[in-house]
Amino acid sequence: MLRKIVHIDMDAFFASVEQRDNPALRGRPIAVGGSAERGVVAAASYEARQFGVRSAMPSVTAKRRCPQLTFVKPRFDVYKSVSRQIRAIFDRYSSLVEPLSLDEAYLDVTEDRQGIGSAIRVASCIRRDILAETALTASAGISYNKFLAKVASDQNKPDGQFVVLPAEGAAFVAALPTRRFYGVGPRTAERMADLGIHTGADLRAQSLGFLQQHFGKSAMYLFRASRGEDDRPVRPDRVRKSVGGERTYAQDMTSSIELYAALEDIIDIVWQRIAQQGAQGRTLTLKMKYADFRQVTRAQSLPAPIVGREQFGELARAILAGLLPVPLGVRLLGLSLSGFETPTAQATQDIAEPAPAQYPLQF
Amino acid sequence: MKFSISRDALLKPLNLVAGVVERRQTLPILSNVLMVLEGDQLSLTGTDLEVELVGRVALPSPVSAPGEVTVPARKLVDICKSLPEGSEIQFTVEDGKVTVRSGRSRFTLSTLPAREFPAVEEGVGTHRFTVKQGQLRRLIDRTAFAMAQQDVRYYLNGMLLELKGGRLRVVATDGHRLAMCTLPSPVPVDEDTQVILPRKGVLELSRLLLEEDQDIAMVLGSNHLRATTDGFTFTSKLVDGKFPDYERVLPRAADKIVLGSRLELRQAFTRTAILSNEKYRGVRLKVAPDVIEIVANNPEQEQAEEQVSVDYQGDSVEIGFNVSYLLDVLGVLSGEQVKLSLSDPNSSALLEESEDGDSLYVVMPMRL
Repeated sequence: MLRKIVHIDMDAFFASVEQRDNPALRGRPIAVGGSAERGVVAAASYEARQFGVRSAMPSVTAKRRCPQLTFVKPRFDVYKSVSRQIRAIFDRYSSLVEPLSLDEAYLDVTEDRQGIGSAIRVASCIRRDILAETALTASAGISYNKFLAKVASDQNKPDGQFVVLPAEGAAFVAALPTRRFYGVGPRTAERMADLGIHTGADLRAQSLGFLQQHFGKSAMYLFRASRGEDDRPVRPDRVRKSVGGERTYAQDMTSSIELYAALEDIIDIVWQRIAQQGAQGRTLTLKMKYADFRQVTRAQSLPAPIVGREQFGELARAILAGLLPVPLGVRLLGLSLSGFETPTAQATQDIAEPAPAQYPLQF
Repeated sequence: MKFSISRDALLKPLNLVAGVVERRQTLPILSNVLMVLEGDQLSLTGTDLEVELVGRVALPSPVSAPGEVTVPARKLVDICKSLPEGSEIQFTVEDGKVTVRSGRSRFTLSTLPAREFPAVEEGVGTHRFTVKQGQLRRLIDRTAFAMAQQDVRYYLNGMLLELKGGRLRVVATDGHRLAMCTLPSPVPVDEDTQVILPRKGVLELSRLLLEEDQDIAMVLGSNHLRATTDGFTFTSKLVDGKFPDYERVLPRAADKIVLGSRLELRQAFTRTAILSNEKYRGVRLKVAPDVIEIVANNPEQEQAEEQVSVDYQGDSVEIGFNVSYLLDVLGVLSGEQVKLSLSDPNSSALLEESEDGDSLYVVMPMRL
């Protein structure tokens, strides 16, 4: 049986919340994030996007592109509480909700909890409820699988929705630039372009073997997605085990200075993802791949979840320090946060006696 | 390149040099040992890019064909070890292979070019001094246990060597306890300095200190430490970081001075430790006039109690400690007596042999 999947994505979430709560910011280009030298943009308002300001962009670059840009400090507590509000709305319409982050979720509405009759109307109702209850806009994509629903939600953004019907799926994908496939980032897109693959149609023309040779484990996903197929279920119980990111460098790095500088970028990128997910993890893992493709990982766990970018960065740098000097050039660096507190673990801890505590030396 | 050497003359330096070689390597050549033959001397080098150790052995007679080559360290050690004691080993290098012959055994090992073997770059030495191996060994033995292991505060994963006012002192701490030992005799160095020798460097260096009364010449630079004995040259990179100001954590206000038998206390702690919480290892010390009571409990509600007679006159106090930290200290001290200076349940304790001992230990308590 064909499924009905809705993908809901809040429009410029953090920035919109700030503009909602502070009328002085409305209609103006704003960026949520630190304006400091090392800061990055966590979210940009649509006004700022017109100047080319994007999320994950260093604040310095953003300021250059848009000199009148206003920086606003993120208020994650507020974002989390809004996120809870929208999740409550999702739950009214479906029992199968898979949140991807604070501002994004898949819903399987095949069941049609409220007897509305059409997935398109369900999406409209959800967006109407979100606007009424949070004064924020969302966009929706409606289709017969997750991949297409997600791509579709981008189509009429902001404050819009788009349907990809089963009969249109293949044609829709064929015209899609590769960059819009989920999981294809700027670097993969570049590699595809080098191979002459620019659209879904180009991708579809490749054999599975060819894709495996060039894209490894994502080959199967790409093979099927380019045919408009994706049978991944919407999994409400999906628990994220880690949040992370990594980068491969055009040139191998050997000096500590280069490595520390590269690490700063990864700290920014990954911290932004962590903030977006509202993730609270205790374990930070650093991954390093050498020029000969050998890989080492080093992890460090803290007694309590990492709070704040400062602590995150400091820990990351300390782990890197332990791997220096490097015996070979480094081609890839990555960080990931794991060891999330699960509600059950928290609960048992609360009941138990306070654990013995070793006092530290006060240097 | 061709030479022969007795198994027993080769094995000692080879073992030490191969000890530096890490099992898991990022660079294939780092799992090899470099063998250099020159005149009547064979030198062996192992490195992990942080610590480098060169061992030297004199051959019975000068060889005609000098040369250099690298061979897999672990395998060479295993081969030499398993050959019978007293046997003679013959090495021949030909066509990129090393042949090792002894009696009716014959092994052909792969090699990698010696010119690719990385040397630890050496900076300029700024401080030079010579001590007896036994003296350095005591400094390390008395403190190394307190070094941190893979702590994010990377500067704790090593040992501080301090030259100050003509005396040599070492300090190690993991942030919960601290060990310090000072060489009683002066070390004539003009300028003060502090360097941090990484954990692995400390452990490898202490393995070389086999001849109590022989000298070891130390050279400290801004990035490296080099130590030379008759048979070995040890070079280690230093940890680039600032060691915490250890003077700040030495207890000053400890007014409760307990003197006890080191052995009796050690045995009592060892026994109570059995029933302490396996994870936290906490024990309670109830100090009262003339007696210390030690109590341990575990989550299974089992309990151990010990009483040890001590020399103490003063107010009673109850303080929790990680029993492993106390046992570590009592294990390296050697005097008959131990002096324990306490103040309150939240402040550090000081352990030492006596006032004029060369070693001093600070242990932070636990809230139990």
